Amino acid sequence: MTSTLERTVAPPAVRRRPAARRPYRWTARAFVFPAVALCVLLLYVPFVWTTFLSFTQYDGFGSPELVGLDKYAEMFADPAFVNSLLNTLFWVLGTLVLPVGGGLLVAVLVYGLSGSFWYRLPFLVPYAISGVAVGVIWTLVLQTHGALDQVFNLFGVDDPPRWLLDSPLNTLTMIVAAAWQGVGVNALLFTVGLQSIPKEPLEAARLDGAAGWKLFRTMTWPMLTPLTTVVVGLAIVGSLKQFDIIYAMTQGGPGRSSETLALTMYKETFINSDYGLGGAIAVFITVITVIASVIYIRRQLGAAKEM
Amino acid sequence: MGRAGTVRKSFAALLGVVWLVPVYLIVVNAAKDRATYNQTSAWIPAGISGLWENLGIAWTSGHLAQSVSATAVYAIVAPALAVVIGAMAGYGIVALRLKHGFFWLIVIFASTVFPLQMLLMPLFIGYVDLNIYDTKFGLILVYTVMALAFSAFVMRNFFTGVAREMFEAAVVDGASAMRIFWRIYLPLATPALTAIFILQATGVWNDLLLGLTLSRSQEVRPLMASVASLQGVYGGTTMPVLLAAGLIVSVPTILLFLLTQRAFGRGLALGQF
Amino acid sequence: MRRSRTSLLALATTASLALTLGACSSGGSDDSAAGTAADPVDLTFYMDKAGWMDSFDAENKVSTKEGMQLDVVQTPGSTADAFDSFVKQSFRTDERPDLFTWSTGPKLQALVDQGMVAETTDIWARAEKEGLVPDGLIDNYTYNGKQYCVPLNVAYWVMYYNKHVFEDAGIKGAPTSWDDMMADADTVKDKGVVPFHQMNVFFEFVWFQALLASTDPDAYAGLGTGETKFTDPVVVDVAQQWLDMMHDGYFLDPGINTDPQTLLANGDEAMSYFGSFLTGQLNQIGAKSGTDYGVFPFPKIGPSVDKDQMILETGPLCVGEGAEHEDQALRYSEWWLGDDAQQTWADTRGDVSFNPHVKSGDAEMQALADRTAKGDFQVQQRYQEMVPWPVYTKSREVFGEFVTDAPDDPMDGLKQIQAEADKYWAEQG
Repeated sequence: MTSTLERTVAPPAVRRRPAARRPYRWTARAFVFPAVALCVLLLYVPFVWTTFLSFTQYDGFGSPELVGLDKYAEMFADPAFVNSLLNTLFWVLGTLVLPVGGGLLVAVLVYGLSGSFWYRLPFLVPYAISGVAVGVIWTLVLQTHGALDQVFNLFGVDDPPRWLLDSPLNTLTMIVAAAWQGVGVNALLFTVGLQSIPKEPLEAARLDGAAGWKLFRTMTWPMLTPLTTVVVGLAIVGSLKQFDIIYAMTQGGPGRSSETLALTMYKETFINSDYGLGGAIAVFITVITVIASVIYIRRQLGAAKEM
Repeated sequence: MGRAGTVRKSFAALLGVVWLVPVYLIVVNAAKDRATYNQTSAWIPAGISGLWENLGIAWTSGHLAQSVSATAVYAIVAPALAVVIGAMAGYGIVALRLKHGFFWLIVIFASTVFPLQMLLMPLFIGYVDLNIYDTKFGLILVYTVMALAFSAFVMRNFFTGVAREMFEAAVVDGASAMRIFWRIYLPLATPALTAIFILQATGVWNDLLLGLTLSRSQEVRPLMASVASLQGVYGGTTMPVLLAAGLIVSVPTILLFLLTQRAFGRGLALGQF
Repeated sequence: MRRSRTSLLALATTASLALTLGACSSGGSDDSAAGTAADPVDLTFYMDKAGWMDSFDAENKVSTKEGMQLDVVQTPGSTADAFDSFVKQSFRTDERPDLFTWSTGPKLQALVDQGMVAETTDIWARAEKEGLVPDGLIDNYTYNGKQYCVPLNVAYWVMYYNKHVFEDAGIKGAPTSWDDMMADADTVKDKGVVPFHQMNVFFEFVWFQALLASTDPDAYAGLGTGETKFTDPVVVDVAQQWLDMMHDGYFLDPGINTDPQTLLANGDEAMSYFGSFLTGQLNQIGAKSGTDYGVFPFPKIGPSVDKDQMILETGPLCVGEGAEHEDQALRYSEWWLGDDAQQTWADTRGDVSFNPHVKSGDAEMQALADRTAKGDFQVQQRYQEMVPWPVYTKSREVFGEFVTDAPDDPMDGLKQIQAEADKYWAEQG
């Protein structure tokens, strides 16, 4: 087995045979079928219902009443929606910089150190801590006279910013809170990526005198592509439907200042009982997320193929 | 490595300490009672004695004992199923070269895109109609699906890094597609599988919305539904008790990370040939 | 299936009678069979007030003797947001709840219009005859001339105050007039204690409610019928007064999220305008009514107002029409109004009961309840249940911003709420 293993890992630059025959056509289908079937049954079917509702007026009583595209018009005309859209874009950018960038930093920093697991552990602990405690602790840190303000007071700043009350600062502070929880996961995934990089090319490059940043940029980073695609793809998807931490900390407030699309959707559906409008926002979130991730993944995979 | 290694180690350790500061705040404030709890002294510990009392309050008034075992089943079975089914999909797409593989990958991946909150009501109605509402099977099913797309996506990308020649060599040796999957691809993917399993098990353990929507009896309901009973404007408990509850339910997931460290380390060694 | 009922008293005395009754009434359907003390009927009960679990557990110990117990189901959304949807959707399935909580006002009207709740007219008639409910409470449960649901609880919106803070500031006793209360507020403010509690989520509307009702009760009630506009001078003046109080530092910083019971019990604030469910929370953290804290009614403000205004919040306990155990759930509803259930409630929550036969261990709160029963106060509905739902959700937003940012002029926000109100009342025709 060992002899096989030594040859297991190759650079992602796998040469594709132009006219690959597919001797495993039915076997391949059988292998992929369970995953597709489960997703379709439990996720696609319910989403079709949501999509249907987006073309209706429905308050949960009686039957939905078809209204065409009215709910979409209503959605785009709503200033709260525009504000949520901006906040959501904030979340996407912030998530790419903080949890993704931070995760990469931690993974690379720690990789190969003796006892690297123990260096990685502090970043994984927040992910393991339940959402209840995370929401409460960040409230405790960020509230007026809270833990963070006390640090500011210590340095003579008597009137620190109102972290959770003023927009857009509240969105920024919540992105930091989310990053605290998310960095460890991304570090873990990037570590898996680093592991799959074969040693020989790295050693060769090192012998050629490459080191540090140059080694990372020219060798490590390109070979991390498969896992970078995963991490960034998930980050885009996750941040476009960001909900939990905002719901736990500000409920989208004060007013509607820190709402994201997912929160607006939730409020329209469940608080205002406007299933049509909520459905329209859900469809909007889904469409832009699919477009963004397909473009991104295709580009990444395309780039990998050309190498 | 020498000097550079020491610098890296110190920096990583420093960053790690900064990262644990909020955890310190959780523990310190979870140990406070009403008299010692004050938002203006969040940093100052007030002894450890109050911790046991708050843990006790959280444990009993949250009725946590009832849901631990059911939740443990969900958190183990569902991610394990998801890892295998996801790996199968990744293998089918990459190694067996499924026609339109990219399309099917997107079909699976796109299911992570739907906003979960909107799926709750249709799922609830569907579950009741199919008679799987309030059953452990129903919850395992939905948790498996939730973990599936992530698993398939990671595994597909991991398998693209595996040399094609290896698959072909095994075929020449007369191995079936199934055998190659179980004997070569899956063992090879141990680090990725472990990582996915840990992350998804944590996700299932911490799920609140699905559990609340798709079950109602104490035997089936997951843990977080019980924890949620401590929150709320009508008669919610105090912040220290909430923090204590958060700590109790976090112990298993933190242990999971620690215990899987060995498997993960083995995976590391394999990958470093 | 309606069956004749024996009196509540008979129902409440022996389990064996309940058994007989169940047997008589089953009429070929197992669904409505009464349980026994050994094998009680499980009544599914959807509720969103998670903090009350202990009290429901205690009630179950008592009600099993009658062959019934609640199977409490907490529903998605710990802040009750998704609760409505969940209940509504459950009626599309076979999983409709036997019992569920809801809110009175327009939301209950909507359920009644949809035929989703079982009628309770008979139960109310008997309860009123036996004096189990105070006068006037029935109005909250009367729709189209019939009664639906029974009260799960009542909460009096009163001013809680920290007695130690008052003593330290040299204030003797609770204030009895608006001027006294504001003088006391100034006194504690000079001592460096925040006079009043306020929060920018969930209960952001309560000071608007208290100030307007106490200034002009009719104008306040008019918001619920559309007769008062949010842009009427009296409303604008009250909103301005509220904002001015914020500017003058009478309220807790909106950025503080510590739980209200801790803030009051620790003396971080002197007074807290809250529903009497706060008593249960204060008791849980060891604060004692009468020694650590007390209560007084929010004092009237307007010169022509003749009584203090008591805002009475009541949450209903509803029976799902066509639920599996509908008859047993109705029997439970009737039992719930009785002395046994209500005494258990008052004892475990430390709160007052709506049932006048039941005395709370909390003397100060009981005194307020007794005075309410005697007619010392003018009883008003809570803002949240009184105004149409779209008006309320808009108010959450606008008042949330008021509390957070204390703008100089309330007019812009009030206009936004009025726009929602205009839209709603126009649709009603």
